[in-house]
Amino acid sequence: MQRRDFVRGMLAASVAAKSAVAQKPAAPPVKMPKPAAIAPGPVPWMRGLMDVKPLPVSSLVPDQVAETSASFFSATQLATLRHLGDILQPPYNGYPGASEAGAPEFLDFLIGASPAEIQQMYQSGLDRLESEAQQNFHKSFATVDAAQADKLIRPWLRSWQNEHPPTEPYERFISLVQNDVRAATENSQPWAEAAHKAGKPTPNVDLYWYPIDPDLRREQALGGPSMCSTKH
Amino acid sequence: MADEKVDVLIIGSGHSGGMAAKVLTEKGISCLMLNAGPVADANKDTEVKPAYALPYRGFKQPGQLPHVFQSSEFNANTWVDEKEVPYTYDPGSVYNWVRVRLFGGRSLFWSRQSFRLSDYEFKGKSHDGYGDDWPISLSDVAPYYARVEAIFRVRGHADNLPQYPDGNFIVDDSPWSGCFQRFVDAGKKKGVPVCKARSSEGLNGLASSVNLLLPDAFATGKLRAIPNVVVRQLTVDKNTGLVNEAHFVDRISRREMSVKARVVILACGTLESTRLLLNSEIANSSGVMGHYLIDQTYGAGISCSVPEARDGKSNSHLMGGSALVPRFRNITTKSDKFLRGYALNCFSSTGGMDPRNFAEYGVPLQRKLESYHGSGFYTGIMGEVLARYENHVRINKDVVDAWGIPVLHIETKYTDNEFNMARDAVDTSIEVAEAAGFEVVSKNYQPNPPGYSIHELGTCRMGNDPKTSVLNKWSQSHDIKNLFIVDGSSFVSSGWQNPTITLTTLSMRASEYLAEQMRQGNV
Repeated sequence: MQRRDFVRGMLAASVAAKSAVAQKPAAPPVKMPKPAAIAPGPVPWMRGLMDVKPLPVSSLVPDQVAETSASFFSATQLATLRHLGDILQPPYNGYPGASEAGAPEFLDFLIGASPAEIQQMYQSGLDRLESEAQQNFHKSFATVDAAQADKLIRPWLRSWQNEHPPTEPYERFISLVQNDVRAATENSQPWAEAAHKAGKPTPNVDLYWYPIDPDLRREQALGGPSMCSTKH
Repeated sequence: MADEKVDVLIIGSGHSGGMAAKVLTEKGISCLMLNAGPVADANKDTEVKPAYALPYRGFKQPGQLPHVFQSSEFNANTWVDEKEVPYTYDPGSVYNWVRVRLFGGRSLFWSRQSFRLSDYEFKGKSHDGYGDDWPISLSDVAPYYARVEAIFRVRGHADNLPQYPDGNFIVDDSPWSGCFQRFVDAGKKKGVPVCKARSSEGLNGLASSVNLLLPDAFATGKLRAIPNVVVRQLTVDKNTGLVNEAHFVDRISRREMSVKARVVILACGTLESTRLLLNSEIANSSGVMGHYLIDQTYGAGISCSVPEARDGKSNSHLMGGSALVPRFRNITTKSDKFLRGYALNCFSSTGGMDPRNFAEYGVPLQRKLESYHGSGFYTGIMGEVLARYENHVRINKDVVDAWGIPVLHIETKYTDNEFNMARDAVDTSIEVAEAAGFEVVSKNYQPNPPGYSIHELGTCRMGNDPKTSVLNKWSQSHDIKNLFIVDGSSFVSSGWQNPTITLTTLSMRASEYLAEQMRQGNV
């Protein structure tokens, strides 16, 4: 109910009550108990909130209880990515591999939200892996063994430095997918849990900055004015 | 309705604006500071989180901050969003404009490297014939450098090299770690000086305007400040020719307001100051405003492994520490491949190495990373970009920001001079590292795109001739004597040095000059 509707309702009830009283014959005075003091007008909406202790809700990461619904890559592409992820980043020394960390499904989400050139690079790279597996081994990449996969991957491995991946498109794909699989795996909760089991502190912890109030992006998210425009 | 005329209006709150406020208020001059963004409170606005608890697992949100390579999902909310304040460039000439509008500006997040320019920069043309000399020399600025170094508590070691001027240091007499001693010795044999880096210690780990400069200004009672206001235009009194009013918009409500001032100091951060002046169409009788945009090349470098530190043998005697190789090319010799020179940032780590250094995958990669853990040694270029008239910014009236203010179009390119310099930096790094017995595991010859260093400079260069420069040697407009620009836009050349200490020093110098001119009634 809007606040003004609530106030109108209160006023209408008050007027109606007065009218009803006015139409009745006078009655002998009845001794009534003293009414409890009430706030003048509507109860303030925020009353009592300051006294509430926060509920003991711990921050639960969705990945702990739910699976990402992969929807960007085709079934073949996703199967290729899952197998590629397991090859590039297998379980090691008590730490999860890409699959256990949900890395392929996370990357399906991430790449699905990424600019078109990134999407195209991933899709064509995964398609090429599948195509070369069919051509060389007459089977899908998702079913090639480690030696077969190595023949398809190793020729394209390059060392590189931050922000300067190889420029040749397929080398670039292999380099970036390896980097992304690794980051998605090492930044997962299963990886952090493995670190705890090994007696190590939570990895990849940093200072997160919330949007600093006031912030225009939140205003826009709530339907506020657009942020910038091109004049025509 | 307020009809106040403030004594000095300072636009911007970073190192240069903070220094102007400190100097002027301590001399009894009232100042009003406007800042385009909010006041950040790290206690309120931050929380320590693991990457897995973030929506994108520590990856940047796709499409957000595409030109801020320094950003991550952790710090994305601290940078200017280019959807909010866009800029344009030609598709083949990408520019990374990296901005912070929080109160304190980029002084909140800088790397603390604190170097003086030498006369190889101030008088570069006299040395090699290229470009223009500054209208000042090191001797003009040295006394101010010394005072700024004291405020910032610069730690360093005197090396007595003319291209690496010594300063007022907290003396760094720490011994080299074993790997650095080997690098120093190998460099000496090849004429490559390896020196201690110089860095601002600040106070409590922070060397920002918000803890070193602005508290002193506020303590005088002479400084008032308004956050979240975006200045769109300065106007000039037609009778006097003096700037007299700043028009700004409230960042949140979009209410348009204006304030009158006797003096205006721009400290918005190089390109925002220039954008404001170009949008205001003032102070540009020379026609060079916006031109000579310069910065420094970063990104080219090498990663090495020190073999003796592998397989669990890394320790703090052998590994760790940092060094700086100051410019050594084109000092006493002359390169036939490039003008000017570069420095090398060098550091060693006892932590893990980046897996991208190795063309390997799976379990063999994991084993390699374990073996190489704690053995990393790295160099990276900080190279001078030549000042060129054609590298420029201009107003693009077809695109406006969130407040309807026309944006900048940035047009700049690196040339063979920068690329050849980067190649020399990498080849020299390899030569010295291998002579020191290190294994080079990866290298990169390609500089990062222009702007990446966050050291954009120039576009309102200083000079003695009003026909070829925007500011005089006091950072004062040739055209409008009550207008000063104290950020990096006054630079005539970039040098290889991180510019923070120099631009803060020039702000101190300009502000003291202004205070004296105001005392004498000249401004």
